[in-house]
Formats: sequence, structure tokens, C-alpha cells
Amino acid sequence: MSHTLEITDLKVHFPGRHGAPVRAVDGVSLHVAAGETLGLVGESGCGKTTVANATVGLQAPTAGSVRVQGTELAGASRSVLRDVRARAQMVFQNPVTSLNPRMTIGAAVGEPLLVRGRAAGRALRDQVAALLEEVGLRAEHAGRYPHQFSGGQRQRIVIARALALRPALLVCDEPVSALDVSVRAQILNLLVDLQARHAMSTLFVSHDLAVVRHVCDRVAVMYLGRIAEIAPRDAIFAAPRHPYTRALLAAVPEPDPAVQRAKPRLPLAGEIPSPANPPAGCRFHTRCPIVVDQCRHEVPPLRRVGDSDVACHLA
Amino acid sequence: MTPAALTVAALSLDLGPTRLVDGIGFSVAPGEVMALVGESGCGKSVTAQAIMRLLPDAIRQTGGQVRLGEEDLTALPERAMQAIRGRRLSMIFQEPQAALDPLDTIGAQIAEALRQPLSRVRAEVRRMLEDVGISDPERRIDQHPFELSGGMCQRVMIATALIARPAVLIADEPTTALDVTIQAQILDLLRRLAIERRTAVVLITHDMGVVADIADRVCVMYAGRIAEAGPVAEIFAAPMHPYTALLLASIPRLSDVPKSPLAVIAGQVPAPGEYGPGCRFANRCPRAEPRCATTTPPLLAAGQGREIACFAPLADRRAP
Ligand SMILES: Nc1ncnc2c1ncn2[C@@H]1O[C@H](COP(=O)(O)OP(=O)(O)OP(=O)(O)O)[C@@H](O)[C@H]1O
Ligand SMILES: Nc1ncnc2c1ncn2[C@@H]1O[C@H](COP(=O)(O)OP(=O)(O)OP(=O)(O)O)[C@@H](O)[C@H]1O
Ligand code: SF4
Ligand SMILES: [Mg+2]
Ligand SMILES: [Mg+2]
Repeated sequence: MSHTLEITDLKVHFPGRHGAPVRAVDGVSLHVAAGETLGLVGESGCGKTTVANATVGLQAPTAGSVRVQGTELAGASRSVLRDVRARAQMVFQNPVTSLNPRMTIGAAVGEPLLVRGRAAGRALRDQVAALLEEVGLRAEHAGRYPHQFSGGQRQRIVIARALALRPALLVCDEPVSALDVSVRAQILNLLVDLQARHAMSTLFVSHDLAVVRHVCDRVAVMYLGRIAEIAPRDAIFAAPRHPYTRALLAAVPEPDPAVQRAKPRLPLAGEIPSPANPPAGCRFHTRCPIVVDQCRHEVPPLRRVGDSDVACHLA
Repeated sequence: MTPAALTVAALSLDLGPTRLVDGIGFSVAPGEVMALVGESGCGKSVTAQAIMRLLPDAIRQTGGQVRLGEEDLTALPERAMQAIRGRRLSMIFQEPQAALDPLDTIGAQIAEALRQPLSRVRAEVRRMLEDVGISDPERRIDQHPFELSGGMCQRVMIATALIARPAVLIADEPTTALDVTIQAQILDLLRRLAIERRTAVVLITHDMGVVADIADRVCVMYAGRIAEAGPVAEIFAAPMHPYTALLLASIPRLSDVPKSPLAVIAGQVPAPGEYGPGCRFANRCPRAEPRCATTTPPLLAAGQGREIACFAPLADRRAP
């Protein structure tokens, strides 16, 4: 059986301001198995959102393949894309801009069902009520407007809408980053709950490693448009193989002074280079603490080391 | 005990009829990093603006005092305040690009903090750039902000804030806009400078990880008031305020059991117009008693340098 999501050698290049294209995503391969949650982490600008957008057909690939339940999105017709979008739904970072302020939340949640002719009238109302309750809101809320809800409640509404068509794949792009710290846990608990209940596949994009560890089964680490490492959750957190993964983990400030202050520091020199002008060889070589000459010339392929797939000559 | 470098006492800030900040107080010793932590809208930035006497027109200080060493800043004329800002009392912001002048070289902007032309203080500025970890300072000194990354701009702002060796540095979310690997560099830098220069640092953040990393003491704010304050090690090990305890339990950690339920704080933070007469956490608090909704719990000493504002704290360690 094919995976729910299969991305092969995906490239997404944008026209650059100074001639050279911005290679936002430059040869990414990954998959998400049925019922699995894959975390996609990496620093700002590494290409996470671009991968997420390509996964739900919001961004056409420059090259490579994106398959949702076996259906190819690259070069697909409008009707195929429309069909795939019902099976792959996206939850964006900002619940405020994701909802139409002039639409009741009942209408917003029911819209995908109505537009695709899946339900109408009484049946639609019942399904909307069930969806609202599923995300922890009350059915009576259906007649209210988004501004009558808090940020956390609005993210629940967005999630209910994404669930309406019972997608095989949920793509969450930083779903809790815009929320108050005290309501993040509510949404994370909800997402974990939904995974267990529906055995949905999820691509979970975040720059917060502790959040990713909490909700994901496997984790992919991106750096400058490429995958540095992919591994099962416990492997990547217990035994990170790529020097970038190690530095990223060391840089997470943990909310425990004893642990945090005892932690060895692995400071990375310098800044992330521009994706319009990425370094040759290993893209991490300008900041890598263990760089050798080979790294400057040869692109390290992803290869299996222990339980990880790692793109590093020295792993 | 060393006298405090900065003391804030009973500070109240109003927006029209709405009290945004309600009688908060804390002090910071030389060389100490004090974190002011709390969720969006709880009043961290307006407190910083009040300390700098840079409040927006709409917001008025209606009570309290800010003292720099022994000196009461509240009563000073604006001219005297201008001589203090950037020299004895400095501030850095979340968005460094917005705070730097795009048309001026970074060297000239740092020199400006010394009220000197760059040519007179070039060597000193270059040393400061080196001190904040900017490589190739001789070239960078003549560049403009747009030629620098976000992390480098933040270092430039720190250099600008510290070159006059202020007694107090207010850092308002200095790493929130940065990536974690860059954040780690900046936090290490702030820590080192606080120790080496004996600068008192007020670090504003909403990230408990940042607090655990570099702060000596912490004030936990909730809805315009201090819920709990004290040494970082003690508060993280045994939070006494239900809000602090729940907040700490709700954060996913690298050490918890994946997919296990996180502690949840029901409801949401009230807006300033919605504050009731009692404890502002009462409507979300699992330990609330009837009086919590009607009476404001005072911030009281609880031993070991701790203070807590709660009628039903988790472990009652108030001195008898
Ligand atoms: N439409 C576009 N046109 C040009 N460049 C783009 C476009 N969208 C993204 N980029 C660039 O592509 C790169 C990857 O962007 P992307 O938004 O995917 O990163 P990200 O990992 O999601 O970052 P963040 O953590 O900040 O959300 C960045 O350099 C970005 O500036
Ligand atoms: N210029 C202003 N005019 C009117 N109200 C303001 C102004 N600045 C802040 N406020 C209000 O004052 C309260 C406290 O805001 P403040 O910016 O201090 O919060 P904060 O704790 O810094 O939050 P954040 O974490 O989002 O930066 C908020 O309710 C805010 O809406
Ligand atoms: S390939 Fe070389 S530069 Fe890249 S991560 Fe490995 S050691 Fe570092
Ligand atoms: Mg993004
Ligand atoms: Mg603020």
C-alpha cells in the first residue's frame, strides 16, 4: 500500500530579486505513513511552509513529485487538485486570518461539506454540531462570529473545518505558535486526541522541538531547503546524528533551570546563508563545528545510520 | 546586601479608566538578571516603557515610583531624563531593524550613544562590536543595518545599549524574533555582559525556557499584576501560585512522556476591561475560594526571598 503522503526530490524555486532563484526547497524526499505524525522542524526560512503548501496543492512544485494517497499533484489538472484538497487539509498558524469575519462559525465549518455536496440542510447542521463538539466547542456556538471567540477557540474552529471532509492527511503549519502560552496545551491535547481517534496522518510543521517531540512519531529536520536528518522521535532526541540536529537540540531552552544550566552548549557560529545563494557541498558546512574539506565540495546524500537517515559525511 | 540598581515600587499605569498595570514592584541588583515573564497583554512592555519614561500618550502613570540607584526618576524633568536614557539606563527591543536608523552606519549609531562623532570613539566602538561577538568589526562598523542579519542587528542594538556602561539594561523580548541557535548566542552574550560589567538586566519574555536559562530571579505577571516573584531555582522547583504551577505543567518538555496530556488552564486571559475586583486569575483557577473573586490577594513575603499573591497557594510557606 502507498503512504498517505510521499514526497520525492521536491524542488520549489522562487524568482529571486537579484537574478538567482530562491531555492526554498531543493530536493526534499519524505513520506508520512497511514496514521502517522511526521514533524518538520528547522529554522526560519528553511522551507517548511513551502513544503507544507506543496503538500496540499497550494504551491506547484518546480520539480519532483508529491503524492497524496498515490495521486500525483505535480502537474495535476484542476479537478485532480480539487479532489486531493479534500483529502489533504491544512491548518495555518494564524487562526485570526484563517476565518472569514463575516461568516458564522457554523457556516465556516460546514462550508467544505456544502460546497462539495456532501451534506445540506438538517444533515449539514448535525454534522457541524458534531464537529464543533469534537473540537471542544458547543453546538449552540454555530451561530456566532469569529470575533466572539478567543484565539484558542478560533484555532479549534479552524481545526473543525479542516476535519469536516474527514481528510486522510492533516497538514498543520505552526498551529500553536500564535497562541497564548496558557492555551497552547489545550490545542496540543486536542491534536493528540484527534490523531488517536481518527488514525489520521499528520504533517506537523513547527520550529519548537519540544512541541514536535510531544505530538510526533517521526521527525524530519530541514536546513536551507534540504533534509538534514529524518528519524523516529525517540532516536532523534536520544541520539541525534547530524551536527545541525545536535546544535538545534542543544539550543532549545528548557523550562527547568537545573537541566538547562547543566546542558553542554554547542554554539553554532554565524548565520543561516541565503537560499538564493546556498553554500556548495553540504549546505551546513559554513556553520558546522566538525566540517572537513570534503564537506565544502561534495553534497552528502541521505544515508541510513542506526535508526536515522542522515545527510552528513561524518555521521 | 548590595543596594538595588533599579527599584520599581507600586507602579500603576492607566489607559483611560482601565488599569493596565496595578501596583507592581520589584528591584534588581547590579549584575543580576531579573526576568519579567507573562503572557501577551499582561503589561510587560508598558512597564518597561514606564521605567524609561517613554509611555505612549494614551497611557498614564497614576502611581508609584521608579528609582535608578537612589535617584527617583518619576519626578525628573524630561531634559534630565534624556541625559539618563542610553547612558545610565538603556533599552533593547524585540525588532532590532525597527529600532536602528536605516540611513546611518552602525558605527555612527553606536557612537551616538556616547554623544560623540564616530571618528572620536572609533576604537571604542570597534571593541564594543567585538565584545558582542560581531566578526570583522572593522568592516561592519561602516555598514548599514540592511546589510546585517537579524541576529547581527540585535547584537548592534546591544552594543548601542551597553557602550555607555549603563547601570541598568531593559531587554524587551530581545530574542523572540530570532531562531533558537541565534537566541542561544544572544542569551549567552547578555549573561556574560551582566556578569562582567555588573549591569542590572530586566529581561522581558514570555518563554519559561529563556527564564530558566539566564535569569537569577523572576517576576511572574498575570493580567497587570505580579502573581509570584523570587529566585528562579526555587520557583521552578516549587511554584506556589496556581498560575505559575499550571503554566509550568502545560509546557511540553524534552523530558515528558510524548503524547501524554498536558496540564490545561481553562479559559483565556481576560482583557484589561474585563478585570474583576478580586484575583485576576480567579475565573481560571482550580484552587479558587469564594473570597478570590471579590478580594485582591496582596503580594506577601513567603520566605527565601519569595513573594506570592494568592489566598490558596500550593505550599503555604509564608513566614509566621
Ligand atoms: N512566494 C515566495 N516568493 C519568493 N520567495 C519565497 C516565497 N515564499 C517563500 N520564499 C522564500 O523561501 C524560503 C523558505 O520560506 P518558507 O516560508 O518555506 O520557510 P519556513 O521554514 O516556513 O520559515 P518560517 O519558520 O519563518 O515560517 C525563504 O527564504 C523565503 O523567503
Ligand atoms: N499604545 C497603547 N495604547 C493603548 N493600549 C495599549 C498601548 N500599548 C499597550 N496597550 C495595552 O496595554 C496592555 C499591556 O500591553 P503590553 O504591551 O505591556 O503587553 P505585553 O505584556 O508586553 O504583551 P506582549 O507579550 O504581547 O508583548 C494591553 O492590554 C495592551 O493592549
Ligand atoms: S557533511 Fe560536513 S559540514 Fe555537513 S554536517 Fe556533516 S560534517 Fe558538517
Ligand atoms: Mg513557515
Ligand atoms: Mg510586549
